[in-house]
Amino acid sequence: MTVNARARGTITAGLATLVLAMLAILPAWTARTDVLNLGFLIFLYVTLAQSLNALVGFAGQINLGHAAFFGIGAFVMRWLWISGVHPYLGLLAGGVVALLFGLVIGVPAFRLRGAYFAIGTLGLAEILRITVGNVLPVVSTLPADFITGYSLVHRYYLALGLAVLTVAALWVLGRSRIGLGMLALREDEDAAEATGVNTLAHKLVALAISTALAGLAGGLFAFYHVSYYYQLPFSPAWTFDALLIAFVGGVGTLAGPIVGAVFYVLMKEILTRSLVELHLLIFGVLFILVVIVLPGGLVEAASRLRRLLVPGRGLSQSR
Amino acid sequence: MLEAEGLDVFYGDLQALWQVSVRVDAHEIVALLGPNGAGKTTLLRTIAGLQRAASGAVVFESRALHHEPAHRIVALGVSLVPEGRRLFAGMTVLENLELGAFTPKARQRREETLTWIYEIFPVLAERRDQVAGTMSGGEQQMLAIGRALMARPKILLLDEPSLGLAPIAVRRIFDVIRQINAHLEVSVLLVEQNARAALKLAHRAYLLQTGRIVGEGSAEALLRDEQVQSAYLGLPSA
Amino acid sequence: MSPQFLIQQLVFGLLTGALYGLAAAGLSLVFGVLRVLNVAHGELVMIGGYASFWLFARSGLDPFLSLLLTAPLMFVIGLGLHQGLFAYVETLEEEPRIKNSLLIGFGLALAFHNLAIRLWTADERSINTAYSGAVVTLGGVVFPVVRLGALAVAIVAIGAIHLFLRRTYLGKAIRGTAEDWEAASMVGIDIRRTYLVAFALGSVLAGVAGTLVSVGYSINPGIGLEWTLKALIVVVLAGLGSMPGTFLGGLLLGAAESASTLFIGGAYREVVALVIFLLVLMVRPQGLFGR
Repeated sequence: MTVNARARGTITAGLATLVLAMLAILPAWTARTDVLNLGFLIFLYVTLAQSLNALVGFAGQINLGHAAFFGIGAFVMRWLWISGVHPYLGLLAGGVVALLFGLVIGVPAFRLRGAYFAIGTLGLAEILRITVGNVLPVVSTLPADFITGYSLVHRYYLALGLAVLTVAALWVLGRSRIGLGMLALREDEDAAEATGVNTLAHKLVALAISTALAGLAGGLFAFYHVSYYYQLPFSPAWTFDALLIAFVGGVGTLAGPIVGAVFYVLMKEILTRSLVELHLLIFGVLFILVVIVLPGGLVEAASRLRRLLVPGRGLSQSR
Repeated sequence: MLEAEGLDVFYGDLQALWQVSVRVDAHEIVALLGPNGAGKTTLLRTIAGLQRAASGAVVFESRALHHEPAHRIVALGVSLVPEGRRLFAGMTVLENLELGAFTPKARQRREETLTWIYEIFPVLAERRDQVAGTMSGGEQQMLAIGRALMARPKILLLDEPSLGLAPIAVRRIFDVIRQINAHLEVSVLLVEQNARAALKLAHRAYLLQTGRIVGEGSAEALLRDEQVQSAYLGLPSA
Repeated sequence: MSPQFLIQQLVFGLLTGALYGLAAAGLSLVFGVLRVLNVAHGELVMIGGYASFWLFARSGLDPFLSLLLTAPLMFVIGLGLHQGLFAYVETLEEEPRIKNSLLIGFGLALAFHNLAIRLWTADERSINTAYSGAVVTLGGVVFPVVRLGALAVAIVAIGAIHLFLRRTYLGKAIRGTAEDWEAASMVGIDIRRTYLVAFALGSVLAGVAGTLVSVGYSINPGIGLEWTLKALIVVVLAGLGSMPGTFLGGLLLGAAESASTLFIGGAYREVVALVIFLLVLMVRPQGLFGR
């Protein structure tokens, strides 16, 4: 690493710590529920988008059925929690069940390449959604005593913790040998296989991480909402949100989904005042632009801007 | 008539051709010989416009070809019969031939051209409604050449026409090439593994090795050359 | 369950299946020729439906007649979408091409969906002409006139496309490009032009299906995903390469949906279709799309 890169790394780490500290003391600072809710949403979306990032960004597999795992995590958590299990255990269970489900479908699903994997997982998620919607077409509502003890601050910290955990997990992955193998298969699956990378194993690991994190995010969702339709967390909208955020932010990077989530939630919040759902239209267009023009998303845009404004500064490390 | 000059061609970061220059004059049959992986196919594809050269030029009858898209190059009179034939396997013989005459000028004279293709390759006339993928190797090769000729080219680029064919079929193909060149005045640039047959057919030849031209001369001279004999013709060196 | 009831359900299924087949034909054309999976295909159906709806609502133009206007409109839209968006992926290798087209289609679908909500609200729309309620009864089985008309249009459209691909030069060029695009450029076919035409034609087929949906059933901005999935299921079932074959596949899907409604109830109709879809995908993972 060059001196500049190391310096930049330290600055980033320092900034991240600062931001984290600020986020941690935020609830002590303000009791405004709308701020805390916003924070929660951002952390939830960071977790969700990073979970998708693990599969799409690292291993290059597009999973259009991601919502299925979010939904499973929500369902398991909710059910256990209302049945009397400690919510943290329920959350964990949600993640585990989602992971197991991911592994079970992963082995047959990965026989399909590229687009077929994408539409196959989409089909699977839709099957799950419709089935849940048929079997439980009702709203899941928390019992009264659960509501009286409801603490938004608690949930804020839980979400923050989960988001930090998720980012950390991906950071570790990015530095590991497995992560390197995943990047190789993202670039060119056949070439990776030819150089001895067990592509199926790597895809499964990526899927396991992706689904486990999505399951945890789903559990978080179930912990947060007082009432919601059982089929809601299975809706493809969650997959789309995750895709939008990850890509617009910068898929394959660590910071991308974080930036994307902040951007997305804030924009949704601002636009809801005036024009409902416009944020989806905007993000849809941004998404297309990112795919065609700027594959690195906002993160790449930012680094290009930086290079433009500060010419001749250090070596650029990436293409 | 056709002049490729100083072509450098890359596949990604890998250089496949280094400053390759070849020339084909009117009425000539020129052979391009060399071992596998020498870059012979790359050269033909570059001339045909399926591959872009990083530097160098391809000029045909004073027109620069190297910036033109492949379909324009066909319209200008250069037709490629690729390695492995690349027929439209699911379509009939007639449909393949019809598509061969897709360019506007060729389309106008399509019926006329079809008649003489049937004369040169009677088997194609017999099997005109047969699905191309169901024909034998030799028949497919004839269809591939016939299809390329439907475009009424002035020069035909042939990539390994004898590949996978029985000796009888090979002889037939080479006869046809000689006929086309002699009677229809179509120049030919021929890539061939079967160096001996190619040198007997051609007027001149180039030797290509690992992306570079390492020799050139009249076909006769090269046939007699001892080094060529050992390297390409499989004969022991003296 | 009387045999008459069974036949009635089957008839309804087939009439709906005709539209599945039509929509799927458009997708099949685009995927077969361009190797591009446009997941916004369903949104094109939606747009076609709204085009006819508004022509009817604003000027009373009969929806079947409006096809004369909406078909060219969809062709132009297809041209624009291809040149503006999908042309980009044509320079890529097969796998990134499919992946990127998937992503672009996804963004497009989202944008179209939300644009439609903004412009036209999320309300359910349906074209109600003077003859909308008319039926023809044969042996106790009811055939809604509008859906019969839709079936007729679908058959004509499929027939027209089939003849175009079989008999015309451009059609053959498109088929050739679908077989082997490099060989196509070797015979002088401008493949970018054939891609453009194929995409535009695929959009027309989708749009026509949309019109028929709006007059025989109903539309809303959200039908895109459902129709994309239906088209995908039919394409996977029927394979690529034959327009009549795809149409039959659509009829088959419609019939299968009816059958499943009879035996396990309407709520799981979609699930049955999706399960069939997954099974076929698994059994012939590359095969159905490969040649």
